[in-house]
Amino acid sequence: MSNKATAGSQSSLREANRTLVLHTVQRWGGLTQVELAAATGLSTATVSNIVREMYAAGLVDTAVTTRSGRRAQLVTLARRLGLAVGVHLGSRHLRIVLGDFGHSVIAEQSLPLPRDHRMDASLDRVALLVADMLERVGASVTDVVGVGIGVPAPVDAATGMISVGGVMRGWDDTHLGQTLAKRVGCPVAVDNEANLGALAESTLGASRNHRDSAFVLASHAIGAGLVIDGKPHRGYAGLAGEIGHVQVDPQGLICSCGNRGCLDTIVGADALLEAVRPIRGALSLRDVVLLAKEGDQGCSRLVADAGAQIGAVVANLCMVMNPEVVVVGGELAESGDVFLGPMRTAITRRMVVNRIAPLEVVPAALGTRAEVMGALLLALQAAEVPAMGDVDNEESAS
Amino acid sequence: MIGVAQGPLLAMHGISKRFGAVEALTDVDLEVHAHEVVALVGDNGAGKSTLAKMVAGALPPDSGLIEIDGEAVTIPTPAAAYNLGVATVFQDFALCENLDVTANLFLGREMHGALRRSDEEMERITREVLHRLASRIPSARTPLAALSAGQRQSVAIARTLIGSPRIVVLDEPTASLSVAQTAEVLTHIERLREMGLGIILISHNMTDVRAVADRIEVLRLGRNNGSFSTQRASYEEIIAAITGATRAEPPWQPSGAPLSAVG
Repeated sequence: MSNKATAGSQSSLREANRTLVLHTVQRWGGLTQVELAAATGLSTATVSNIVREMYAAGLVDTAVTTRSGRRAQLVTLARRLGLAVGVHLGSRHLRIVLGDFGHSVIAEQSLPLPRDHRMDASLDRVALLVADMLERVGASVTDVVGVGIGVPAPVDAATGMISVGGVMRGWDDTHLGQTLAKRVGCPVAVDNEANLGALAESTLGASRNHRDSAFVLASHAIGAGLVIDGKPHRGYAGLAGEIGHVQVDPQGLICSCGNRGCLDTIVGADALLEAVRPIRGALSLRDVVLLAKEGDQGCSRLVADAGAQIGAVVANLCMVMNPEVVVVGGELAESGDVFLGPMRTAITRRMVVNRIAPLEVVPAALGTRAEVMGALLLALQAAEVPAMGDVDNEESAS
Repeated sequence: MIGVAQGPLLAMHGISKRFGAVEALTDVDLEVHAHEVVALVGDNGAGKSTLAKMVAGALPPDSGLIEIDGEAVTIPTPAAAYNLGVATVFQDFALCENLDVTANLFLGREMHGALRRSDEEMERITREVLHRLASRIPSARTPLAALSAGQRQSVAIARTLIGSPRIVVLDEPTASLSVAQTAEVLTHIERLREMGLGIILISHNMTDVRAVADRIEVLRLGRNNGSFSTQRASYEEIIAAITGATRAEPPWQPSGAPLSAVG
């Protein structure tokens, strides 16, 4: 309705068609012009014109390829300077994005993973998927400036190793970055998934206008990533923000980290799913979230109580670091206010009210993609360092 | 509704099948609930595909009872299976190379208007189904010959959704697929489950099975040899049941995965 008088005119139609073509290329990664015409419903002549225009404007790249034995024009989004790969190797999902220095995502893929997935098999799949995705957009590994990977365990940034034993079964004592770098053939940076979520949200998402923020990842396990004075704070051994391993019940179950009654043993996926099992049978975390959203009484209660329990721990975190905003991501946050409401209440009730501005608790703007986008940013940042690392800059920085 | 305790969608009791001297299946039980992925695993010749063929109406059992939604049924032909809401994807897909995606989806059950075939309606439904599956096939008009193995598997799975089935049987859907294609197919299976269908997944790949299945039923030499909740059972326990290192004595109860935990 806000459209001006030009709506329906030739130029606005062309504009709409351009947007459609651009979105379609973005969705599929790489398409030939003929496929593009079929996918958008536009004529091949129109597509050809639009592609030529967008190529001139530097929005897309074209390359010659073959489809069913015929020459065809492959259209991909233009890549500025190079490509980077973001990998989120979560507890039950693998997500991979290809992106460029403009932070635009060129291709995306996700794969469900089994519980306690094995290191060798999973890293193999990462390498194969990356190769496959590069092929899909008509690129090769030489175009890739780096890979960023996030894992659900604290990571020592210096060595790229998991710094706490037992959290990821069978993944200890492996030099993750090196192992993967050997398989994909380019530099790999490793970080904790919650830290990457924090990086993404503070760069592109809900906390991008704040200097101090906390990102809470409420997924199969609970974690947090801290951004202090605009920079991610990882701590000495990468353990900063590991709120999943804060003790909340001294008499509780023994946790995978070896301590007792950690937050994860109470609101981690295993504990939550065990609680619904007697009435619902075996559910997945996503089922619980969907049911809670639909208003199922038992699941709503479960998710709401989890929100309150996590909120109590996050309140302590907030007292220590005093962020302006708490951004909440992960599967549980997908259930919306069922989860966020009780969490917000639990946090604000425990906080000392300051006179300047109240603490905000908001959902992640990037949703469950925050971690993988953070991994992409990590790869880009790691690659940017040598690009501007001339002598003058280094001296003025130190 | 997700996970509500109700009767199974498909129940097979005491199924036996003999091919001459070969006992393919002996007294096999299998239950599938709505909104559940049941993986059928076992060695070569364990009887997985034989059981799938019975559900698909391609092979009648010698003895045993098959119930769908609590009612005893016989599934003499694939057409009967289709009418009962059972859709099957076999290992060889049974698709036509020279036809496009839409024609393959509606092959043998084309929609007709008053006078002629409603091609546009079929294409609309095809696009909708591909979209629901989060499929990566850009056009419903692409001929099958131009698609990759993974995309063909997508078409075969999409085909099952024509005619709103309740039970989908997938026989080795990820065999001989690349990782990216496997990712697509596993995502499709998750979508089917979210639509509330009951899914039987036959596979050799333990990683894929453990990634998407709710329950794993092990067949060994034509007999049930264990039922495992994916959330609890370890890789080793399942492998042990497949290879026969552990034997299930009926009514068996595997350690750590009581049967009552399911459904």
